[in-house]
Amino acid sequence: MTPSTASPRPLAGPAAFFSTLAAMAWKELLIMLRYPVEFVASFGQVFLIVTSLTLAGLMFAAPGERSTGVSNTAGLVVYGFILFMFLGDTLWTIGYNVRRDQKQGTLEMLYLSPASKFANLLSRVIITLVWTGALCVMAAFLMSALIGRLPAHNLPLAALLLVLSLSGTFGTGFAFAAVTLRLKEAAQTLANLFQFGVMVLCAPFFPFAALPEVLRWVARLLPPAYAVDMFRSTLLGYPTGYPELAPPAVGLAVVAAYGLLMPVLGYWLYRREENLARRAGTLSEY
Amino acid sequence: MSTTLPTLPGRPRPAQILSAALAETRLRLTNISRYPGQLLMEIIIPIVFAAMPILLGQATGGDQAAANFARNTGTANYVAYLLIGSNVFTIVSNAFWHIAYWLRFEQETGTLESVYLTPTSTLTLAGGVALYSVVRGLAAALLAYLLGCLIFQVNPLQGDVLLALGFVAAGLLPIYGLALLFGAVVLKVKESNALVNLMQWAVSFLMGLFYPVAALPPLLRAVALLFPPTWLTNGVRSALLGVGYFFGAWYLDMAVLWVFMLFAPLFGFWVFNRVERGIQRNEGVGQF
Repeated sequence: MTPSTASPRPLAGPAAFFSTLAAMAWKELLIMLRYPVEFVASFGQVFLIVTSLTLAGLMFAAPGERSTGVSNTAGLVVYGFILFMFLGDTLWTIGYNVRRDQKQGTLEMLYLSPASKFANLLSRVIITLVWTGALCVMAAFLMSALIGRLPAHNLPLAALLLVLSLSGTFGTGFAFAAVTLRLKEAAQTLANLFQFGVMVLCAPFFPFAALPEVLRWVARLLPPAYAVDMFRSTLLGYPTGYPELAPPAVGLAVVAAYGLLMPVLGYWLYRREENLARRAGTLSEY
Repeated sequence: MSTTLPTLPGRPRPAQILSAALAETRLRLTNISRYPGQLLMEIIIPIVFAAMPILLGQATGGDQAAANFARNTGTANYVAYLLIGSNVFTIVSNAFWHIAYWLRFEQETGTLESVYLTPTSTLTLAGGVALYSVVRGLAAALLAYLLGCLIFQVNPLQGDVLLALGFVAAGLLPIYGLALLFGAVVLKVKESNALVNLMQWAVSFLMGLFYPVAALPPLLRAVALLFPPTWLTNGVRSALLGVGYFFGAWYLDMAVLWVFMLFAPLFGFWVFNRVERGIQRNEGVGQF
């Protein structure tokens, strides 16, 4: 019997793409389901962080205002936290996990298979959506049960803003995956720095009004900052002074552009770095 | 030609125990000195962490932020109050992670079993790791506090600084006693990142990271008072900012920390030893 020397036929067409995506997403989900303790612990951690920050915010409220100010303060913290969680998790699960594949030696194998590279990145998006989404929903429910109903105005628009923000966030994750291919281990420190930069400049836990003027101008240059501003302002029902960075129409336009363009840009960057790494033979170097 | 048979290792003398512990400390310090970026992050993180409630409070409280904070906590200096919380959090987190991950690292690199075959006990080495952790954690916390006060333009050296340092010193031993419990969790559960992470936040939540424990519901408050970090945090805040001791006088609060100093390490050692013996008997040391 003569072994076949023909190269594997590339998997093409939507059916092949979705089949690959489903298989990869299921593999990631299966790994996740094997660690239920981790899920429960992550949830507990999220709850403790949000509660700690809400209690801290309440220390600045006058005694008479504490009952009325509580839901707005909690809303501000919880809604900002949701976007921060997605951004943080995206950096690690999409961006930095490319590094994990590199370390485990499975990245090069993956590139030798006819499977779609985009499906590989997208499968990690699904995990972030399921895992982080579940954490956020549970944290929001628990906070509502503890301190009363969180303000939730303009739900359809808020949902649209969330979808656009997440799309932009995932695009940022693709771009970070590209950076990881280039920087290798140093990407871990960069991810930490990026997260802390977001914590300050995108103001997920406090209003932008608290930032010094210079930093507020820097924030105006960052699309994720508009995503935080628009998402929480919309859910809080546009109280006086909100949104803070730009009028609602401008904010919506920036978030839409971020949500539509960033995934394209991020994926383009990723393919570019990946091609460079393949040509230079550094895909499996770590 | 005569051959000399190797002598069996006996019980190590105190000087040898100290030497082994200090060697472990030096090893860890040399290792971390190779990662300046990580050390820098340890100084930045508590400042950024404290900046969140500071900025949130300034925005929600407006002109009345300091006055409201004083009504709720006993001091108008919310910057120092929150920085103390975030820096004690750094010390506590460092203690948990350094002890827990020293064991995990030895497990993963396959050297834990070798450690058990040497005449040096794991507690001696844990002592060396704890000393390294104290040096690293205290240096980072002190620098972060001073830098944070400089950034937010408040005086870091107000109140009784020596007494505050006394509370920190008295609180360290009980914290490392608790850290041994986390070491036991790592030995038992192995891949316990998430659990250690959760427990670190649970202790921080209970110790009144950004608020007085009086803000917690009565049951949680009672639980919080069973944790040494709660007394450490409040002791430092009271010494520097005058927020008020739990028992009204510094020496009474300090006495409680001394009681913890006696019992927490003993309890930690006991649990750690039990888990250690258990996994030695049941083939657990080399498994990870």
